[in-house]
Amino acid sequence: MRVGTRFLRKGCNMATYEGRSNWVGFFLVLPALLVLLILYVYPLILSIYSSFVHNGVVGLANYGKAFDLYGKDIFYTLFVTVVTVAFVFGVSIGVASYLRFKEWKFLDYMYRLPLFIPFLIVGHAMRVFLARHGLLNMIISKLTGIQNLPGLATDWVGLMLAFAWVLSPFAILIVLGAFKAIDDSYIEAALNLGSSKIKVVWDILIPLARPSIIVAFVLTFIRTISSLTIPLMVGPPKPTMLPVDMMFRINYYNDWGVANALGVVSYLIVIGFAMYYLRFMMVERGGLKH
Amino acid sequence: MKRRRVGLWLLKVAVICFVLFVIVGPLVGVVLWSFAIKWYWPHLVPQVMGVKYWVDVFQRGRVLDSILLSLEIASIVVVLSLVIASPAAYGFSRYKLPLEKFLLVIFLMPQAFPQLPIFINIAAVFARHSLTGNMWGIIFVHTMASLVFSVWIITATFRSIPEELEQAALNLGASRLKTFFTITLPLAIPGLIASAIFVFLWSMGEFTGAFFIGAPYIQTAPVMMYTAAMGYNMQTASVVALILMVPAIFFMIIIEKYLKAEYIGGLGG
Repeated sequence: MRVGTRFLRKGCNMATYEGRSNWVGFFLVLPALLVLLILYVYPLILSIYSSFVHNGVVGLANYGKAFDLYGKDIFYTLFVTVVTVAFVFGVSIGVASYLRFKEWKFLDYMYRLPLFIPFLIVGHAMRVFLARHGLLNMIISKLTGIQNLPGLATDWVGLMLAFAWVLSPFAILIVLGAFKAIDDSYIEAALNLGSSKIKVVWDILIPLARPSIIVAFVLTFIRTISSLTIPLMVGPPKPTMLPVDMMFRINYYNDWGVANALGVVSYLIVIGFAMYYLRFMMVERGGLKH
Repeated sequence: MKRRRVGLWLLKVAVICFVLFVIVGPLVGVVLWSFAIKWYWPHLVPQVMGVKYWVDVFQRGRVLDSILLSLEIASIVVVLSLVIASPAAYGFSRYKLPLEKFLLVIFLMPQAFPQLPIFINIAAVFARHSLTGNMWGIIFVHTMASLVFSVWIITATFRSIPEELEQAALNLGASRLKTFFTITLPLAIPGLIASAIFVFLWSMGEFTGAFFIGAPYIQTAPVMMYTAAMGYNMQTASVVALILMVPAIFFMIIIEKYLKAEYIGGLGG
């Protein structure tokens, strides 16, 4: 009997444990929240505020200057980012589809190799690999006899390839995860009815995995457009990606206003994608209880 | 029939060569440079190779110091990050939080927006409090930036532990705290270790924050590597790059289970 009441009492506790708003949980989150408020939200607000301040006057002067000086770079940044996303899309759908149909340990390990390599080091490796007298050109020259190949390392193509090299693994990981979550029976049914594998990918796998695929490309877009280190190491000296412009604006001109204006421009470019990502994470994977 | 099999086999070999070339090729370049003493076009491998630059890096003060500094920063960041992220992750996984939507947005936002403007403005704030050119400035920034993914990795870990186990302990009279330390925490250790290694590697390789907050007085290994590469000191840059890269590749192979790409999307930079 005593055991019984004790169980009941604890049982009541359990109810509040799972119950409505609970401030114990909030206090557990509080330290991390404070760190983010002080070191993320405050600088974020500051970056937006200082983008409007020019010589102590609030206005749009920084934006005018930013568009005058870096208008071309804004388009270049968008161009490189869109081409990178398209390239990563092709590679990741291809590899993920192949691995969905057929297990191949070699490719499975290979595609993930670049995952955690710091971007700066990827930039360095690509700068060496794609240089005019780099390993790639050397091997092509040896195999084909063609001399005087262009150095991709100082070209936007090289920059795009460097991004694709390090970002494709993430996209493949997300897309393949979504493909694997799709039940075999759908695929087998379609194959039995005579569909080709390409048709299965296009008509079944991609539509069913659509939210994850979109997230993969939203993340690819955001990471490409925000990367400082890769365009710092690879790509032409002019035009450059926005983060490099921000860095030069500060290091060489000590001009924080224009740098922050460029920062806000990059926020505005990604804001639609960022919203999609936030909504996806909150609904599908985020912290909400099921 | 036989001819077709040979054809398929050749195709497979060609695909393997291509994949190896694309994935491993760029890394091989770095390895070759790190051992190159003399390397002129159009030689496929350096004419003179040796461990000169490796010995240099481990003997010469400046480069070695930067690596040791990075190790020190990364170790402190791991501890801070785990101590702050674990309770938060437990909160996210087990409680219905007030203002939950707001909290989720704050904890997901750094992944969704470019971080460079944040680093720049933190540098401006830190400059006023003499935290630039200071190891602790970098540690604070790395802790903040790593929280965003360590919280989600650990939340996923806690969520994978059945709540019934905790309820059983609570029903038998254990306190909430005791339940956490005897039931939940031991089961979560693999996830915590994964998160720790992750944060460690990320902090070791982080350039942007370390550059803006540490420069010019403090050079972490990636900043050192950047300086060397920009000065066309390819060998030193390659040695440092390899030291930072090898653990990352090794970790990737053993970590498989904890890979949740959506949570670690904001890595790099």
